[in-house]
Amino acid sequence: MNRDKELANILNDCLERLLRGETIEQCLQDYPQYAGEIEPLLQTAMAAKKALAIQPGVEFKARARYQFQSMLKEAKPRRGLPVLSWQPRWAPALAIGLAFLLAGSGTVAAAGNSMPDSPLYPVKLATEQAQLGLTFSDIGKAKLYVELADKRVAEIAYMVNQGKPEEIEATVQRLNNHLSMVVSLSLVEGAAAGEPPAAEAAPRLMPAPAAGVAEAPTPQPVEAPAPQLAETPAAEPAPEEAAKELPEQAEAKAKLKELLKQNKNIHPAVLRALLDEVPDSAKPALLQAIADAEDNYQKALDALDEEDDDDEGKKHHGDDDEDDEEDD
Amino acid sequence: MQEEQSLTHRAREGDKEAFAQLYENYFDKIYRYVVLKIGKADAEDVTQQVFIKALQAIASFKWKGIPFSAWLFRIAHNQVVDYLRKEKKMVKVPLNESSSRSDSDPQQMAERSLDIERLISATRQLTRAQREVIGLRFAGELSIAETARVMSKSEGAIKALQHSAIAALRKTMSEDQKQ
Repeated sequence: MNRDKELANILNDCLERLLRGETIEQCLQDYPQYAGEIEPLLQTAMAAKKALAIQPGVEFKARARYQFQSMLKEAKPRRGLPVLSWQPRWAPALAIGLAFLLAGSGTVAAAGNSMPDSPLYPVKLATEQAQLGLTFSDIGKAKLYVELADKRVAEIAYMVNQGKPEEIEATVQRLNNHLSMVVSLSLVEGAAAGEPPAAEAAPRLMPAPAAGVAEAPTPQPVEAPAPQLAETPAAEPAPEEAAKELPEQAEAKAKLKELLKQNKNIHPAVLRALLDEVPDSAKPALLQAIADAEDNYQKALDALDEEDDDDEGKKHHGDDDEDDEEDD
Repeated sequence: MQEEQSLTHRAREGDKEAFAQLYENYFDKIYRYVVLKIGKADAEDVTQQVFIKALQAIASFKWKGIPFSAWLFRIAHNQVVDYLRKEKKMVKVPLNESSSRSDSDPQQMAERSLDIERLISATRQLTRAQREVIGLRFAGELSIAETARVMSKSEGAIKALQHSAIAALRKTMSEDQKQ
């Protein structure tokens, strides 16, 4: 082995040992004949390592993580579509048709990650509207609106990051609209849960309820259009079944609440972190968005909590009935 | 390594938690590597871009002896090259922008900032390969084997490059100190 190669190996051995916590002196004891040459190199290497012990700023890291996670959510195809049983009978055929249209469009796929400054952004917004149209339950819609709110926050962060404040106000407006819809749908869901069982089953099969938010509600969440929709029957449940919350519904509601709690903390924090970076002209819109996010997420959570309280009340009421029967 | 292989496999299959874990494992290292190559000013954007590219390409990643770290740092290298080519910017390291560990002492922050500035300046006097070895070994914390994979060289060649890079760095920094 020539001397240069030997030196390179010894230097590397010592570097590895220093990284494991040994001192320069400890390593040089094993190579006394090379100590004069190796020691200054090890000192330089350690100085370089120390200079590089920098960390990305906390704010940048939080923003980058948030944006990345938003992209990650979009990148993953949705799986585990819940069973649909109460959707209108025409829904599967329409869903399949639209699903094929959406899936077959390269433009739509490319638009999925587009930002407000992209020419494909209107396609992204249109695709979201189509998704909303294919989501038939209040809970499913509310969840989708929460996910859209998540996208809007990521877009606002992106626009601030890119130094393009011109689109911020419009995006903030869209965010606020999504949050208002989340609250409305949570209230509708809460009110529906409080209705007596027999009255609940019938209107939920109608295309539009009288509850104010013009959607075609079913108690089942539909997360995304997909051909599997055809495999599920559109059978009408018996009134007894309609009276109680199905496990899928309870799970969807729990997921929605979890999502709301998470976003209630994250969204205002992310928007607040952006305040220092936007021009003064964009600050009022951002401040309004922070206040609205805090307020609306709480309202939606309160509505769903009230619903749970109602369910609990119904349960106790049911217990009383059973007691009555026993008494009889 | 086994754990990383499993994470990478899951990430390829669309497991977002696995990819998020890989992101957490490598974010700081990629950031340091990028800072050393282009300075702090635009390092944040380029770092983000590295992970976006990785996310877009993860489905095509095949382990086959090439570790995820090597694959990711190749993406980082390409992003840096793209950045330097497109922007044609000089390295700029503003002293007031910093993000050192938990340093709250302004004196410490200034010293560390000066250290990194000096280091960036010194590495610019090295050859491209030497600079790459310093970046991958000390900023990216890659092993000799991983560095060899990224640079498509033998481990022996990387050790030799590391030796010459540190010697050149020492020389450059000593000269700077004399001036």
